[in-house]
Amino acid sequence: MPYETQVRGRVRQFLEENFLYMRPDFVLGDDDRLLERGIIDSMGVAEMVTFIEDEFGIKTSDEDISEANLGSLRAIGRFVAQKRATIAA
Amino acid sequence: MCGIAGIATQHAGSIAIEKLARMAAAIQHRGPDGYGFYTGLHAGFAHVRLSIIDVAGGAQPLTNEDGQIVITYNGEVYNHVELRRELESSGHVFRTRSDTEVLVHAYEEWGAGMLSRLNGQFAFAISDARDQSVFIARDRFGVRPLFFTEQRGNLYFASELKALLASGDVKAAVDPQALDEVFTFWAMRPPRSGLRGIHSLEPGTYGLWRDGRLVLHRYYELDFPERDVEPRDAIERLDELMRMGVDLRMRADVPVGAYLSGGLDSSITATLAAAASPHTLRSFSITFDDPRFDESAYQRDAARAIGSMHSIASMGVNTIAESFPDVIWHTETPLTRTAAAPMFHLARLTKNAGIKVVLTGEGADELFLGYDLFKEVAVRRFCLRRPDSTARPRLFDRLYPYLLDGGSGGEFWRRFFLEAGAPDDPLFSHLPRFQLTSWIKQFYSAEFRAGLSGIDVAEEVRQSLPTRFFRWSALNKAAYLEMTLLLSPYLLSSQGDRMAMAHGVEGRFPFLDHRLFEFAAALPTGSRLCGLKEKEILRRWARRILPDRISERGKQPYRAPDAPSFFGPDAPEYIGDALSAGSIRGTGVFSPTAVAGLVRRCQSGRATGVRENQALVAVLSTQLWHDRFVAQPVNPRMLDVAAADVVLQDAIPVS
Repeated sequence: MPYETQVRGRVRQFLEENFLYMRPDFVLGDDDRLLERGIIDSMGVAEMVTFIEDEFGIKTSDEDISEANLGSLRAIGRFVAQKRATIAA
Repeated sequence: MCGIAGIATQHAGSIAIEKLARMAAAIQHRGPDGYGFYTGLHAGFAHVRLSIIDVAGGAQPLTNEDGQIVITYNGEVYNHVELRRELESSGHVFRTRSDTEVLVHAYEEWGAGMLSRLNGQFAFAISDARDQSVFIARDRFGVRPLFFTEQRGNLYFASELKALLASGDVKAAVDPQALDEVFTFWAMRPPRSGLRGIHSLEPGTYGLWRDGRLVLHRYYELDFPERDVEPRDAIERLDELMRMGVDLRMRADVPVGAYLSGGLDSSITATLAAAASPHTLRSFSITFDDPRFDESAYQRDAARAIGSMHSIASMGVNTIAESFPDVIWHTETPLTRTAAAPMFHLARLTKNAGIKVVLTGEGADELFLGYDLFKEVAVRRFCLRRPDSTARPRLFDRLYPYLLDGGSGGEFWRRFFLEAGAPDDPLFSHLPRFQLTSWIKQFYSAEFRAGLSGIDVAEEVRQSLPTRFFRWSALNKAAYLEMTLLLSPYLLSSQGDRMAMAHGVEGRFPFLDHRLFEFAAALPTGSRLCGLKEKEILRRWARRILPDRISERGKQPYRAPDAPSFFGPDAPEYIGDALSAGSIRGTGVFSPTAVAGLVRRCQSGRATGVRENQALVAVLSTQLWHDRFVAQPVNPRMLDVAAADVVLQDAIPVS
């Protein structure tokens, strides 16, 4: 399974357990905007970033925390894969 | 200040005094100093008394000279001295010094027209044997509560719901729409009470019950006849109104104290109270052991400036959780915040110090646009004029530094505020709050949600707005919504009357003198909110009586810790029972699965955001409320009729 797909799966599970546990019927698409759809708030962003750092062994700077990098599952998968590639290099 | 209860009936002589004694027992906390009863042919009244004015002669129920008119009364009419003079000059003869008797004669003289002459906070019922009617009324801003229900041709009324339920004649059933209102507005809107068929008498309203029928009339309406320019004598007029408002509220035959948070509003009322008090003023505040929420340094500083003898109650991490069942017993409603709990402890501190009456700063934020919500309206409108601007939304950072913590999280809140609604929506000012609170509704059970099908509580507010609302400025629209949706049903009730009266303490609110409200409502909004500086004219005037460091102090938002109190290692046991899947299913409002997820998050310490905290408080308070008021009968002991201070029968005094 491509690494980005694995990342999306783990983050999806994290979001479902922690931010969508009260909405079992909610289907989270890869391109759904996490802020726009009210899935996470500012505290949620901090929590998700901590999870991503711990789960995938990466570090994020203040500049990394943006809609482009963390705004959707697809963006997160791409962002984590790029970070991992940088570490490997 | 007191508690009242009663029954009006078409079946002459059918009201058993024992029933009234049960109703009175349920609200004895409101009046621990004595009690009394009246049973007439068509009405029966109960009264529990907190003695404040005419301690010796003010026992109730009370009659007029010929015993035809009987009153049971909760409250204070501050201009009773002036009204008495006027009534005496019209030939009325008084037996006591009490403000209660002034109301009896005022009713004789002016009927319902008496209400516009009263300056005070009150809820009362008057039985008139001449036409077998019962007149019930509530003050302009809803400081004092009054609930009623009509059952089988009888009218039941009481200061609190529990007294109605204690009668044994009134059944409790959940009103789902009332809960939906709490989980939208923070409080249900009068006339809803939370229980089907039981109504809260709306502020500024009276009812006349006759021949088995209750007809309601509004006698006071909020209005905002805003001027373009601040009157030249505005500061002098404000000075006069503030001093009169406090001086009138110092009228009591017992010492009057003050709540003092250290902020501007309570510092004003406490300073003026100290100046008017014959004794060293006693002042009281609450703080938290957690240093992040400890404001005791501000409080002590203000007390030093005022010269009051100050007492502080400190809340530990579990204090909120430990007292929460008692808090809900007194609020009689589910909540979305725990702010009532500190007020409960503040009242207890006050009572233990031997003080029965306190002045507070309540109302100033509504009159003088003190809340962040008003600034938020200004910023949102400013941003929405140029939706493409990236600089304008940065103003939110100044407004809510604790929400907008930088990075992408801040982006969520900025987006949230800007997308909450269009400026032409009448509820524009409050839509962010409504939407944030409504997040709780995701936890509803499928059945409860289905029961609300077709109900849109926000739309009902839109439809209920008076025509004049649409002529007001955006900020005055916001002020009106804040006063009707939050001040009366929540701040003055759940955090006000109910918490103070749980311990037999009467709050008095100089800022809610209706003359001061009418003065403030006519000011240009720029005199109240100038740029992002709130309460501008009040601060300008307050420099006369307060040191600059206090008159310029910004508002401290209340941010007490919620989830840690309920889930720490020493959390009380009842929480596990109340949040168990079986209990949640039994109440039926929330989904057991969703609540289990929330509990898991709280237990792991992850539920730190606003949304989950309010959901936790909503679920837990609903469970406690349902358990105490719906799942089991309210069945307190009965007060001993033989030990009553007053027993009137057929309007003829027998003791």
